Amino acid sequence: MISSSIFMHPATLFILGALLLPLLKRIHISLQKVVLVVIPVLAIIQIYHLPESFGVTRYMGFDLIFGRVDKLTFVFLNVFTIMALIGSIYGLHVNESGQHMAAYLYVAGSLGVTLCGDYLTLFIFWELMAFASTFLVWYRKKKKSIEAGFRYLLVHTAGGLILLAGIFLRYKNVGIEGLRFEQIAAEGATLADYLIMIGFMLNAAVPPIHAWLPDAYPEATVTGAVFMCAFTTKTAVYVLARAFPGFEILAIMGAVMTLYGVAYAVIENDARRILAYHIVSQVGYMVCGVGIGTAMAINGACAHAYAHILYKALLFMGVGAVLEMTGKSKLNELGGLYAKMPLALIFTVIGGISISGFPLTSGFISKSMIIAAAGEHHMVGIMIMLLAAAVGTFLSVGIKLPYFVWFGGKSTEECDIEAKDAPWNMNLGMAMAAFFCIALGFKGHLFGFNWLYEMLPTPVEWDPYTSYHLSETLQLLGFTGFGFYLMVKILKPKPYMSLDLDWFYRKGARVFMWFASKPLNAVNEFADNVWNRIGIRATMLVATFFSWFDKEAIDWVIDGSAQSVVNGGDHLRQIETGRIQQYIGFAVALLFIVLIAVVLAV
Amino acid sequence: MMAKLITYLRDRAHILKYVFFAYLLFAIVFDYFAERHVPHFFGDTIIGFWSIFGTAVCLAMVVIFKGLYNNWLKQDEDYYDK
Repeated sequence: MISSSIFMHPATLFILGALLLPLLKRIHISLQKVVLVVIPVLAIIQIYHLPESFGVTRYMGFDLIFGRVDKLTFVFLNVFTIMALIGSIYGLHVNESGQHMAAYLYVAGSLGVTLCGDYLTLFIFWELMAFASTFLVWYRKKKKSIEAGFRYLLVHTAGGLILLAGIFLRYKNVGIEGLRFEQIAAEGATLADYLIMIGFMLNAAVPPIHAWLPDAYPEATVTGAVFMCAFTTKTAVYVLARAFPGFEILAIMGAVMTLYGVAYAVIENDARRILAYHIVSQVGYMVCGVGIGTAMAINGACAHAYAHILYKALLFMGVGAVLEMTGKSKLNELGGLYAKMPLALIFTVIGGISISGFPLTSGFISKSMIIAAAGEHHMVGIMIMLLAAAVGTFLSVGIKLPYFVWFGGKSTEECDIEAKDAPWNMNLGMAMAAFFCIALGFKGHLFGFNWLYEMLPTPVEWDPYTSYHLSETLQLLGFTGFGFYLMVKILKPKPYMSLDLDWFYRKGARVFMWFASKPLNAVNEFADNVWNRIGIRATMLVATFFSWFDKEAIDWVIDGSAQSVVNGGDHLRQIETGRIQQYIGFAVALLFIVLIAVVLAV
Repeated sequence: MMAKLITYLRDRAHILKYVFFAYLLFAIVFDYFAERHVPHFFGDTIIGFWSIFGTAVCLAMVVIFKGLYNNWLKQDEDYYDK
């Protein structure tokens, strides 16, 4: 009974896949590529055959619910599995198994969170997501990526602890019933609930706890960023929609988010950082929809998450293709690529018009649902903020980004960058995402089937194609273009970075380091002297064993990935940092063993 | 082929400019004929309101955000390594 439910869980597919990849690669590289496509396809089929509830186990007096499927779950499962397929195809040319393993474990974590029915299971998968995705940053193997990866991990660990504190407190207040992952009523929400909400909001990148996102995503690998932009924030939207619909604070924060993200997208220079800030903005719409909490708003949040995953991934893929082929992602260094990478241009523009909500694209049918829900709920201020952010979206991602990457006033002859269109698998990945962006634009239909709207939690009565809504959109977008035409000189990107709220912990860490190096160090030295005399011999013996275990046993398991992270890259090759990465790899492996043992033991 | 088409269009940017302005005019004319729903606020009753809104917000965003950037947020790229 239990063993059959393990295989019922789509996350199992991805975990098994992740374990198989390095072994298959040893046999033949093409086997790895086959598995990379087969696993997501199986998952796409599998989610249609899930029972409403499965994998319910009792462990130490707690009910762990691994599978709970309803319409809200399904719409996210559907887009997550489709996205896993698109991302895998886009990354097919990458031979390093470790990158694919990290991506698959990350997807597994995300599916686990989406399916789970209690906070303990949620927390396990939540942490798996955080750890696995950190490796997607580290695999870029540059000094900046390794540093950004550590910051990313630390911030998410802190967020995880806040979430855990909330879960414990809730258990203490409500008892065992409180661990069930259900909707929480806005009236009578306690500190425990708000701690859980903060933990969720950190993953949704709600300012002021958003800075990890634009810090880490632009430093991730080309294919890693495509996965990351889809899963972490949208899983957070799902858990917020599950637990906290109708919390007004979310509506306000969401509306602020939309403008905050757009502001940075307008001024940033790095193409992937523009897109990363834009995730903050777009997730703002969804958080706002959750906060409004009406049936239409929740539908809108889900529809927008669905559409957003596909067009944001498309944008990351398009810009990633440019980065892969030219090694550049800074707008001031690019320009004039239109004749050298025309396919990437066309795909990116499709992503750009979808995110801006052009008629006949997926953004038009999803974003408008949230805005209309705000209007019908008499939240005019929020509605105006969302519309203003829509203007900024088209300005920054719809026009500015493609313009300065592919044109920027330079002709092909003036462009001295060596470039050609990306490999076939990258183009196929982009084509699939582009297909969804356009196909969903017809009222969410696909091949005449009512696809997206049919999948939403409650029946949809909203028709985006009314003449007034069309007129509103045509004017907003047209005159934003006019504004760009007037302001193009001022908008020209410059080779600088912009400060954000990560300043507090990035500069604050220096103060801590000073404290650690001066006053603390004096105390430490005294303790060291004592230690040197007594404890060192015994420790050496243990350390020798562990370093062997680290290097040989663990490394073999994760296919030499830790070793390659230590060896590759630029200068940050201090032994300590490499070790920490191995320990984290080890911890993730251990997490699995425990998880599997728990399920099997019952 | 794709590259040729884009180059062809790019060489005729001055014509595209007039097409674009014609589109803007069309958008306002279209608004005159659009069937209006129950207004959420005063803007829904004014013809061409969203044209003004779009232009104003776009210009304001560029001026405000670029202003903040130039006077405060802009730092050297190795700012955190210094």
